[in-house]
Amino acid sequence: MKKLNLTLALAVLALSAVAPALLAQTDITSTMTPEQAAQIIRIAVPFPELNPAGGLAPAPVDAARVREGFFGPLTRDLAYSGIFAIAPLPPSVPVTSEVLKSVNAQLHLQLNVWTEGDEYVVEGRLLDQSGAAQLKKRYRSPAAALSRTAHLLANELIKTVNGRPGVFLSQIAFASKRTGTWEIWLMDWDGANQRQITHHGMLSILPSWAPDNERMVYTSFARGTSDMYIINRRGGARTRLASGLSLNTSATFSPVGNDIAFVGSVRGNPDIYLIKDDGTNIRRLTTTNSIESTPEWSPNGRQISFTSGRSGTPQIYVMDAEGTNVRRISYDGNWNDDATFSPDGEQIAYTSRVNGRFQIRIANLITGESRIVAGEGSNEQPTWSPDGQWIAFQSNRKNNRWQVYRMRADGTDLLQLTFDGENKEPDWSKKPE
Amino acid sequence: MKRMKLILTVLIALLVVLAPACKSRKKPVEPTTVPATTVPDVPPPPVQNTDTRVTPPADFVQETPAVREEVFPADIEELNRYVQTKGYLRDAFYNYDEATLDDAAQASLTASATWLKGREGAGYNLLIEGHCDERGTEQYNLALGDRRANSAKDYLVTLGVDADRIRTVSYGEERPFEEGHDEASWSQNRRSHLVLVR
Repeated sequence: MKKLNLTLALAVLALSAVAPALLAQTDITSTMTPEQAAQIIRIAVPFPELNPAGGLAPAPVDAARVREGFFGPLTRDLAYSGIFAIAPLPPSVPVTSEVLKSVNAQLHLQLNVWTEGDEYVVEGRLLDQSGAAQLKKRYRSPAAALSRTAHLLANELIKTVNGRPGVFLSQIAFASKRTGTWEIWLMDWDGANQRQITHHGMLSILPSWAPDNERMVYTSFARGTSDMYIINRRGGARTRLASGLSLNTSATFSPVGNDIAFVGSVRGNPDIYLIKDDGTNIRRLTTTNSIESTPEWSPNGRQISFTSGRSGTPQIYVMDAEGTNVRRISYDGNWNDDATFSPDGEQIAYTSRVNGRFQIRIANLITGESRIVAGEGSNEQPTWSPDGQWIAFQSNRKNNRWQVYRMRADGTDLLQLTFDGENKEPDWSKKPE
Repeated sequence: MKRMKLILTVLIALLVVLAPACKSRKKPVEPTTVPATTVPDVPPPPVQNTDTRVTPPADFVQETPAVREEVFPADIEELNRYVQTKGYLRDAFYNYDEATLDDAAQASLTASATWLKGREGAGYNLLIEGHCDERGTEQYNLALGDRRANSAKDYLVTLGVDADRIRTVSYGEERPFEEGHDEASWSQNRRSHLVLVR
């Protein structure tokens, strides 16, 4: 966490004015084609005015807290949005229309922050070059929720210019061993607010979000055997799904309806099964004698990708959700696993062995072409952001220990999200908010 | 005189015969319960399973020639370490991405089945844990571990161990025995691990 804080502090420092040289490092247009760059909107985001109304005895506003809790996350969201580029403002100069013109800012985000009692009030106005307000928003929150306010506002800004919400309030579930035992944890999209969800004290792994963004299904060895459990991200009782089979791993909610696909086994023959989220109506989808594992639904719920050893090595296949119409997707390499559909259903990201290490490979289901997003060490278990722009994954590139990373689907803008203990098996929530 | 000579001869003869026998009585008796079958190419048991408490002290003197009663640890975890160290229970090891039992694995399970069906072993149930090395992917390895554990279970059942006594669980690559990142560690981590349970 210390490292993350340092990164965060540096990002805030870089973005909140001062040196133009530092700002260049966060210029996201550097990884884009000229055509993409032409669509980027330059936005000026001066540091919020604190206590703008003045008043007789305004409660003091903690500027450092606003900087770290609100302004940092907000400017990072905007810089990573792929929609906005932050126009660097000269330091210690009033933001006038001349100044905005000189930095080529097309939009100006005016921010005010003050406190009322224990609550922080954040007011945002998005102004165009004529000074007309395109968006006005006001948020109230306790200090601890300032980052949530930042993500809410960033989402609104994206929606205002793009019509679609940003992914800044999406959550990444993962398994962490920082307490000594693998348990299920959650974090924000930028790695902030990492918090423990399960407390089994026994190996608990492979979290997977329900489409409602509230529930997760995962596998725990809490009873000495591996079982599926459903838990709500806000806490409360967990429920065990009794399938009557062995394994009960790789469980994943259907994006439509209430089916869960999972790997069940009878007498050492792992196959793909379905079960309702109330534990009823078990159906077997694959019937070969080979190993089948790792099911994942297509976004419309009509297809399921999975891994099978039927050809002699683990390879990726896709079948209809009824178990019919099986076709093989992967032909490269002798070990492929962890397939997952992109949110538009046109691509599948999976883990593919290349030269003895694992890499993230992205296959286009329409053209049949695939490309490797290469990285150091082994890189496994990809998961798409709800807007399809990002992929989170696990890598052991540092000291042979698993950590969760995030990158754009083209491999750029890599960011390490976890640092504490070992962390793996990320699963990105399905809805942007 | 002739009679005296005969008695003397008999006495000397007795002494010659009995002397080595008397000497050998002072030697510690080797445990006789170790299975006589030699097992080829079985990897040595893991270092952490070595239990020094079962070794008699250096100055130990066996007073009587009677067969020593073998005392099994009452604690189930100690018992599991003990039976692994003694070789009564032997894990089955696998080749990379394989769940089939080679000759060495079959020999290990044969020895294990003998003990499980014997006087001491018959009172326990068995948990078979399927394990994989880290070189595969986690989700596929969980399935592979299930296949390994069941291959070991099926073989024990064919050797006459009651199937109802055996439960399986796959840990995939989640609980390696050795933490290293080389074949020496990987070969230790590809196994069906036999665990006694009450």
